[in-house]
Amino acid sequence: MSPDTANTPDLLPENLISSVTDLKVYFQSKQGMVHSVDGVSFDIVDGEMMGLVGETGCGKSVTARSFMQLIQTPPGVLAGGKIQFKSQKNCRKCEGAKCDFCSNTGKQILDLLSLSENEIRELRGERIAMIFQDPGKALNPGLTIRTQLAEVFQEHRENDVLEKAGLANNLNGINSYLLKKYIRQETNLISKIVLKFPPFRGLLKKVDKAINGLVTKALAETQIPNPNKIMERYPHELSGGMKQRVMIAQAIACNPDLLIADEPTTALDVTVQARVLDLIKDLQKRHKTSVLYISHDLSLVRRICDKVAVMYAGKIVETGDAETIFNDPKHPYTKGLIKALPSMTHERGKLEAIEGMVPELINPKLGCRFASRCKQKKSNCENNDPELKVVSNKDKSHKVSCFLYE
Amino acid sequence: MKQDFQTSAVAIEDLNDSAFKVRLRRNFEIIQNVLENPTTVIGLVIVILMLLMALFAPIITEPNMPDPYQMPRDWQAARSAPLTPGHVLGTTNRGGDVFYGVVWGARTSLKLSLIVVSLTVVVGVIIGSVAGIVGGKVDEILMRVVDVFLSIPELIFALAIAAILGPSFTNIILALVVVFWVKYARIMRAQVIRIKQRDYVDAARVMGDSKMQIYLKDILPNSFSPVMVQATLDMGNIVLVGATLSFIGLSEAGIAEWGVLVSEGQAGISAGRWWASTFPGLMVFLWALAFNLVGDGLRDVLDPRTETKR
Repeated sequence: MSPDTANTPDLLPENLISSVTDLKVYFQSKQGMVHSVDGVSFDIVDGEMMGLVGETGCGKSVTARSFMQLIQTPPGVLAGGKIQFKSQKNCRKCEGAKCDFCSNTGKQILDLLSLSENEIRELRGERIAMIFQDPGKALNPGLTIRTQLAEVFQEHRENDVLEKAGLANNLNGINSYLLKKYIRQETNLISKIVLKFPPFRGLLKKVDKAINGLVTKALAETQIPNPNKIMERYPHELSGGMKQRVMIAQAIACNPDLLIADEPTTALDVTVQARVLDLIKDLQKRHKTSVLYISHDLSLVRRICDKVAVMYAGKIVETGDAETIFNDPKHPYTKGLIKALPSMTHERGKLEAIEGMVPELINPKLGCRFASRCKQKKSNCENNDPELKVVSNKDKSHKVSCFLYE
Repeated sequence: MKQDFQTSAVAIEDLNDSAFKVRLRRNFEIIQNVLENPTTVIGLVIVILMLLMALFAPIITEPNMPDPYQMPRDWQAARSAPLTPGHVLGTTNRGGDVFYGVVWGARTSLKLSLIVVSLTVVVGVIIGSVAGIVGGKVDEILMRVVDVFLSIPELIFALAIAAILGPSFTNIILALVVVFWVKYARIMRAQVIRIKQRDYVDAARVMGDSKMQIYLKDILPNSFSPVMVQATLDMGNIVLVGATLSFIGLSEAGIAEWGVLVSEGQAGISAGRWWASTFPGLMVFLWALAFNLVGDGLRDVLDPRTETKR
């Protein structure tokens, strides 16, 4: 963290786990700068599910990946903004006694974008986890499920492993040092040889058994049948739904504060989709995890999310409660999206499509990005940038960026 | 599904048993796949016979003391035909026992190919990985160096280096290492770049793994199989090129090596003494053929495009 940001107070309201402010992520290309994410702001309330909806290429995944510093730079450019995240550590100033500096939460508030590689590594998997779009590609084909799941515990939960093995309290210095190294898989040649002999052999067996137990438990939580058999399999021996369950098990293994789900059900067929969705919702409720759920499917997001932000061409056009947005959409784009959904209650007929194409994001012009496709376009739409504003007095959280509601 | 889940909680006891069975079956399947192809089996049989011959050379023939890698000279029985008592495959012009040369030549060849392949794989994999992972200018520079090496035909390049270094068996090994590492660097770089972009590498990063852990666990094992296939093929090619260099006379004279033996018997071919060149020549041919057959078979099994068949 740079010295000048260290002294400015991190303002993050108490009920939020994370807040994105004016995030700008650009990509260099031969034609010019691609403004993939151009001033995106939204909040994630602690323990709630936030849906991020938009069509392909609107910058949803880039936003999600920014949380984990997964954007490669170059070609990516972090052009501005910040992602604040309430960590579990105590505040630097008041040591947990709640002060102005940490906006009365007592917790340290981090800017995920300015963390160093080592600092973000501590958070990855431990406090923030991610589920990927295609489970078939997100598992290493050369390792068993056990090895891949065990990694999470080995990386972040060495004390849990020792406790589970019943070794937490009765270890002397050298034993505990070597075993922790073994659990973290940082053994060098000498300690590897030492660990092959008694009494370490017995201890290692206990540790391995403990890891197996943790892995089985994590898998069982995602309702995989026969977790103890499944974990000895390789990814190609599992079905898509099972792989996604393994991914979810991996993500929630350390009980993270924030789970980022990047279209986790897109690669699955509809029946499996429904089950996986229920699973994520169920786990979220039980563990009180905050979830950032990314999807292109508005009806799906309505089903499971508390809040929704609709993204279009790198900007957020509308955000608010899921039900409000679904029942009372304000932005012409959101209206179009909802009209394009098939419905059980409406009479049959052709579905309405939004005319036109997503605009080029290379060096975009000033003005509303939806203007070229908008049926309610006004004269100033193409010359000025609309801002995200509260539009109704009833619901302060419902914000729209459109000139129709000025 | 709920039902399954409950029964599984009870079945945790037989965990080790089932794991072992699963693994055994999987390994068995891979071996079965390799053995399905008859040409691979032929190659494998020849390779195993060659390896056995190299391994038991001191038992098959009495080692020539003090240096068993030197051909024994029996000047009285020079130019004797095959099936002469004491010289099963005949002798050369200078009284070298062809059978001894053939048997101990296998040992020399094995030594040559193993040393060269292991050195080139290590060098190539390290350089290729660095180029693939670091990328940018480092990649550019390393790959242009590789291009320069690749632009010269390998036999001529090896010949030039060996000739500069002077005639000796060690220099042949050196020359072959200098020539052969580039292929591995290229293969490894391409593989690393391919694997680096996989989602599971991102997934590992998301779990909080360090860069080294990701390289060792996710990138290296998944990019290694083409290197293994190339290494098997090179086990044959290196002996072929090495024999060529020895034949030209870039090896020490009188060493028990197939190329040297072929060149020693060459003078006698016009006089009808075919055996001194034919048997070692046949050995080089069989060695190269066998390793190529095995390499091809391995490629069929390890190729990701045929993975669905497994």
